[in-house]
Amino acid sequence: MSTPTIRKQKVKRTTVKTRLIIFGTLAVLLLIGSIFSSHLTPYDPYLQDLSNAKAAPSMEHLLGTDRYGRDMLSRVIIGSRTSIYSTLLLVAIITAFGTAIGVICGWFGKWIDVILMRISDMFLAFPGLVFALAVAGVLGGGLQNAIIALAAISWPKYARIARSQTLAQKETVYLRAAKLSGSSTVKIIFKHILPNIIGPILVTAMLDIGTMMMELAGLSFLGLGAKPPTAEWGSMMSDTRSLITIVPWITLAPGIAIFISVMIFNLLGDTIRDYADPKNREVRG
Amino acid sequence: MEKVLEVNNLTKVFRGKDKQNFTAVSNIDFCLYEGECLGIIGESGSGKSTTVNMISRLIEPTEGNIILDGEDITHIKGKQLRNIYKKMQMVFQSPIESFDPRCTLGDGITESLKNDGFSKKDANVIAEKVLRQCGLDESFIKRYPHEVSGGQCQRAAIARALAIGPSILICDEATSSLDVTIQKEIIELLNDLRKNHGKKLSILFICHDLALVQDFCDRVIVMHEGVIVEQGSPDEIVKCPKNDYTKKLIESVL
Repeated sequence: MSTPTIRKQKVKRTTVKTRLIIFGTLAVLLLIGSIFSSHLTPYDPYLQDLSNAKAAPSMEHLLGTDRYGRDMLSRVIIGSRTSIYSTLLLVAIITAFGTAIGVICGWFGKWIDVILMRISDMFLAFPGLVFALAVAGVLGGGLQNAIIALAAISWPKYARIARSQTLAQKETVYLRAAKLSGSSTVKIIFKHILPNIIGPILVTAMLDIGTMMMELAGLSFLGLGAKPPTAEWGSMMSDTRSLITIVPWITLAPGIAIFISVMIFNLLGDTIRDYADPKNREVRG
Repeated sequence: MEKVLEVNNLTKVFRGKDKQNFTAVSNIDFCLYEGECLGIIGESGSGKSTTVNMISRLIEPTEGNIILDGEDITHIKGKQLRNIYKKMQMVFQSPIESFDPRCTLGDGITESLKNDGFSKKDANVIAEKVLRQCGLDESFIKRYPHEVSGGQCQRAAIARALAIGPSILICDEATSSLDVTIQKEIIELLNDLRKNHGKKLSILFICHDLALVQDFCDRVIVMHEGVIVEQGSPDEIVKCPKNDYTKKLIESVL
């Protein structure tokens, strides 16, 4: 190996690590910020002041006020809790459930595979958001039911990824070696299959955080998600979209908040994929 | 000499598309004696690998039975099946692919020991011992498969196979993906292990290279299109082959 190649690889490794630290820290800051959001707001986010409605950004109200005179900065900060936590919970549910189903289908095959995959096909046959609307409508409004509705339409994607990855893993030589080592099915799945398939699933999950945030907001807009006056970024945007030509900051503030958090989670997802690949890890020993 | 492995009437039929069946192995019988090295040679597609994969129960035989140490293992399942791997281990053709890229070589070598109830510490001690037997130092325990060369990885694969102390070692083209000098080293290693292994180690050596088998094996089986066409000592087969296919095979090598 020539010297330039070694140097290039070293640079790459450090970049991945640096990126992981940067985006990891940002994501953690975002999470901590949303935990303590009620202590960080300069004003009461639910306090209305009609005499000061639709005020432009100033030193007093950094992001201006909305149509009821509520401080936008405080609402964006407090809205992070609803938006980020419900999205993370939703993504965690669909990832875990979808992966479990997919691995079971891929590993056991035969009739289990046929039954579970046809069920997932049924969920995929409906247009996603319409089906979610129907489910949320039947269950009634509220954030919890919106999460259930979105989980119902989103898990098949993960099941399909996990299934195809498991099928590919089943053919590998090291899985045969693991069988010859006398490992039980459960051990093979947890020790050899899951670590090898989790990369693409994790990246999909990270990239889905943005989509799910938007879809939750969509349901909130239709009155099937977060109920007003609860501050939630998506519904805040939808609420004020008619005012965008007159007082654009009201719409822009939650929009930028969504943009930044989606961006951070996407980049973090990418970095985690790069880092999880052992070929990018530092040579040990 | 005692028979450690006996294969009777073993057949594998693959069901293809359009209901066209393909017989990969048909009605073969052979046995492996204690401490013996039996070579199976033949061209690609002659059914060698299918045969050993059936013996190690990685694929299900269509017909026939496999008897290991007097026990019929053709249809056993679950825990019983896992137990036979204490007696029978395998070394694969592609060494690097035979280790999980996300686990260290040490993880791979100790896996069978941990499954057998050894503590992590004891398993590591045994792993270090077998690694040394196979000509690698204990630092390889912490290495990942992509960090070592093909030859070193194949040594580690042999160490993994020997860790649990099997009486039969199946080498499925174990030297084919290595270059010629490393091939020789691996053969020498297997020879040493046969002599110095605690229990008597029987080796089933699958290869397509007659020259390699000639010095190493006690007995050779020649397979062609799923059937055994000839068997005997390597010298016999090389000097006076009876079968036409064997003659061709010898001409192509020598």
